[in-house]
Amino acid sequence: MRKVFGGILGLALAGVLGVAGCGHNTVSAGSSAGSSSVGLAEPQVTFKDLQGASVPLVSLKGKVVLVNFWATWCDPCQAEIPTLIGLQQKYGDKGFTLLGVAMDDDGKSVVEPFVQKTEFTVDGQKRTMNYPIVLGDDAIAQKFGGLIGYPISFLISRDGTIQKKYLGMLNAKEMDQQIESLLSSAPAS
Amino acid sequence: MSGKQGSRRVAWRAGVLTFAIAACLGSVAGAIAARQESALPKPSAVVKPSAYVSLEPVPRGSDFEVAVVIEIARGFHVNSHTPRDPYLIPTTIKAQPTAGLEISGTKYPKGRDEKFAFSPDKPLDVYTGSVTILLHVASRASAHLGANRLPLTLRYQACNDSACLAPVNVPVNVKFDLAPAGTKGRAVHSEIFASASASH
Repeated sequence: MRKVFGGILGLALAGVLGVAGCGHNTVSAGSSAGSSSVGLAEPQVTFKDLQGASVPLVSLKGKVVLVNFWATWCDPCQAEIPTLIGLQQKYGDKGFTLLGVAMDDDGKSVVEPFVQKTEFTVDGQKRTMNYPIVLGDDAIAQKFGGLIGYPISFLISRDGTIQKKYLGMLNAKEMDQQIESLLSSAPAS
Repeated sequence: MSGKQGSRRVAWRAGVLTFAIAACLGSVAGAIAARQESALPKPSAVVKPSAYVSLEPVPRGSDFEVAVVIEIARGFHVNSHTPRDPYLIPTTIKAQPTAGLEISGTKYPKGRDEKFAFSPDKPLDVYTGSVTILLHVASRASAHLGANRLPLTLRYQACNDSACLAPVNVPVNVKFDLAPAGTKGRAVHSEIFASASASH
């Protein structure tokens, strides 16, 4: 009997160590995914917008924020932009904002013309990107836990806590539910 | 042992057992999570390039071909050399300047039109599986005799059906022996070059 319980204890310890060893981000393509960053405070990071102005992430505290890492060379990123435009249009005046973080190595020189000129069809109408775009780099990606694939998005509640992490294209219905749920929670005091 | 002690021991063991089961389940969940993350490899791990030279040895002053065979991991694609969308990053191969060696031509295979979950209506011009890029190389009188090396850089950007990896530059080293002019070079890897020529 003692041997049996010794074995059980061993398994338990191995299990605990196994859990502890899984501290890295968990991602699953095309859907929301658990993550070591989920539940943590948003990273202290300051972006540069396309005009060169600083945009500290903390300046958006009090809003529900969807930080979307994308790149002009990323086809699935382009494919989800109509959904993102729709979310900004729907919730932008209700305490929500999207923040598009462009990860192109060439930065503004390629991102700015894309943002200004590329049109997307949203609800049958041609639209350009209607949400703030900032520039990202590897250092910023590291602060979000190191990013391997794009698009990747982080949904942040009003108090600056990362609530969800999504790898791959966002599901519009799921995003509606998540954003509405977070918007209905009390604003940070 | 009293009845009270016995029941305490049973309760303690039940607690340990519950803890063990929970911990083991947690461990399994952790392992599954780790597998999901590992489903996305590093960009440099998606493509495995190998280089083959058409002559052995290469006589100095002669032209030869280099085949760079790129094996793309299952479930992934890279843009062809001529993607339709100007923002997409084409697959390219470039040589670093090497004394006495000159790239006189590069032939990329044709891409394939494929649709993906993120692009159901717009086919993309991509490479999947195994494709071969051919380089025509001229060796000049100034080329170094003996063991030689032509450093190439393969650049590509890979995606799977739902996400993309960052563009990456991968080094490809071409090694060959350069013999004095007039030496007869033996044609080697002819099946690779024949197959590649047919697909260009």
